[in-house]
Amino acid sequence: MSIVEVRGLTKKYPSFELKAASFGVEKGRITGFIGRNGAGKTTTIKSMLNLVHPDGGEVDYFGKPLAGNETEAKKRLGYSTGAVNWYQRKKIRDIVDVVKRFYDTWDDGAYRKYLELFGLDESKTPLELSEGMKVKFNLLIALSHRAEVLILDEPTSGLDPFSRNELLEVFTALKQDGVAVFFSTHIISGIEKCADDIVYISKGKIVAAMPKEDFVSRCSAPGETLEDTMLRLEKE
Amino acid sequence: MRNILLKEIKLSASPLAFLFIAFGLMFLLPGYPVLCGAFFVTLGLFQSFQFARESNDTVFSALLPIAKKDVVKGRFLFTCFIELCALLLMAVSAVLRMTVFVNAAPYVTNALMNANLFALAGALVIFALFNLIFVCGFYKTAYKLGKPFVTFIIAAFVTVGAFEAAHHVPGLGALNAFGAEHIGLQLICLAAGMAVYAGVTAAAYAKACARFEKIDL
Repeated sequence: MSIVEVRGLTKKYPSFELKAASFGVEKGRITGFIGRNGAGKTTTIKSMLNLVHPDGGEVDYFGKPLAGNETEAKKRLGYSTGAVNWYQRKKIRDIVDVVKRFYDTWDDGAYRKYLELFGLDESKTPLELSEGMKVKFNLLIALSHRAEVLILDEPTSGLDPFSRNELLEVFTALKQDGVAVFFSTHIISGIEKCADDIVYISKGKIVAAMPKEDFVSRCSAPGETLEDTMLRLEKE
Repeated sequence: MRNILLKEIKLSASPLAFLFIAFGLMFLLPGYPVLCGAFFVTLGLFQSFQFARESNDTVFSALLPIAKKDVVKGRFLFTCFIELCALLLMAVSAVLRMTVFVNAAPYVTNALMNANLFALAGALVIFALFNLIFVCGFYKTAYKLGKPFVTFIIAAFVTVGAFEAAHHVPGLGALNAFGAEHIGLQLICLAAGMAVYAGVTAAAYAKACARFEKIDL
């Protein structure tokens, strides 16, 4: 059973439509959500989190619908986006001190562990962090409350190749701990490196949702890299 | 509830919101429209809303493991907390003017409205208008602050004018009572002000929750 199940999610804007998106996210696997800019990745993710109201469809977390179980679902998931800054001039320590009170699963030991692992200084403010460190800060919060699934919107965008690689290594380590990672990106090399499953969206429509090996064997021509395949599919 | 209020105080609030509580002491000023103090308190709250918006507080809060309406509840709790702190200072000031300083020359010769229990009711009405027009208006979009605040400013100054003018209306002179004069009437006015504040704030909260539920963040 999928840890996150998305069924027929639709959202209509004047100039864009998310068309009946359906896919699942499995426990202990990394799912790469790929598509070009404007394909509908952020709309899908925001709909999955009830930040925007889908016009139709359902999202289940841990076998229960999000509607009616939002608080419980949010306790067990972590969300991060590379682009948004929270409380830019507050110290990390102060933000964490408030946030931890909302989670009965908060683990100070895990917090200290990931703080050290990510090289974060809790006396710094988000304003003083690089883009990569901001993503790590969001991950730090998610991991300290023992999130079982991470939903990450473009976490690797704006990162240099070294930081991107470092982050993908963190995903791989989390996967081994049984955490499900669902991350959107338009950087195909990241998917090639660490994803187990692929959800491919184009012009608001989920074109494919399957294990990466199946996607490659079905869609890639011999000798073609995943990036070449995606470029070709987008052109078609 | 305690956690969401703590989040508002520690992360979302502007320091000015706390500092401007001191405007409650304007109830001690003679020769000044005392209800302006209540309006100045709301300037600090307005600054807090702006500060929170710039910190992406709404999305951050919506991602916490709380119901979406609790995001609105947190903001209302904080707003009421600041308003009631200011009201406490106003009440202390009014009681001082009604007792210790009841015969003090600057207050006796005060040409403007007296700081009595009727004035406290006026402050409650201004705070109720803030909660209804500005706070509830803000949750139409959860980011537009200007239009609801300008609307509130107009309503607030009309209210200040109406309260200042009230005791000049023939038959309503008792509203400007000194000390314990017409204490029954003063208490009725205060009770009415409290009822207006509670009722309007509850209605504004319910409406703001309904509006926020529909917003795409």
